[in-house]
Amino acid sequence: MNLASLLSKERIDLSLSPGKKEDVIRTLVYSIKKGEDAELIVSTLLKREELGSTGIGKGIAIPHCRSLAVNKLEISVGRTTKPIQFKAIDKKPVSLIFLIIAPPHDPGNQYLITLGKIVQIAKEITKKNLVNKPTTHEEFITMINDIEKQLGKRK
Amino acid sequence: MLDVIAMHLKLLFDLDNLISDMDEPKYKEIGFKVDDEEHHALIRTRNDLLKKLPDDIAYVYERLKQRYRQAVAPVDNGFCFGCFQKLPTELLTRSKELTTCPNCGRILYFPEQ
Ligand SMILES: [Zn+2]
Repeated sequence: MNLASLLSKERIDLSLSPGKKEDVIRTLVYSIKKGEDAELIVSTLLKREELGSTGIGKGIAIPHCRSLAVNKLEISVGRTTKPIQFKAIDKKPVSLIFLIIAPPHDPGNQYLITLGKIVQIAKEITKKNLVNKPTTHEEFITMINDIEKQLGKRK
Repeated sequence: MLDVIAMHLKLLFDLDNLISDMDEPKYKEIGFKVDDEEHHALIRTRNDLLKKLPDDIAYVYERLKQRYRQAVAPVDNGFCFGCFQKLPTELLTRSKELTTCPNCGRILYFPEQ
């Protein structure tokens, strides 16, 4: 899996309006799907959040779920202009959000593998203090690409 | 299929997948924290949702879930995504009712588009 290749500039919003966790999640979902399907995804994502916040700490959250509403792995990224409350594990507010929706049927469990990899990339972003560094979609994708390359070399 | 029933069925299916993912050892390795109490609450929500479905549909859903783990299969290009058999053309136009695959029996889901 190559995360950079799953990103598209229409689905990277680096000046997302801050708001309630639910509203920010909804905005990111609507960049992928509209209408009833989008609401189904939002409901499932919020149920997932009730189980424990996907705010992994240091300002990053990775809301995720599987849904019948998608037929391939879809990712959308948002960075809020001000950090928002996300009930993250370190209780700190969140500004960078990777939202992941996977199809229900995936042979080989690609979803969990991808999710694990995104968590790893997110941790590199915080470790290197890069949350606020990229200013354009291009820079954001380049940053992800570079991190993936470094992580690949380390193995 | 009535829209409200379809919506409940879709949400039930998504929640069941959420519940089964939480039980995956691989999921726990990733490092997300899951609250046990909320996990049980989610199972109750899913059971309540099941009760909202007409009895016959709830029965079929539960039976299929036991048999295949996933009771619903999306239709992709005229194929059932559960058993990968080509579906008869007349089925593809009859998406208003609850349709099941004539080969494997899974409930068919017709994606929007
Ligand atoms: Zn089938």
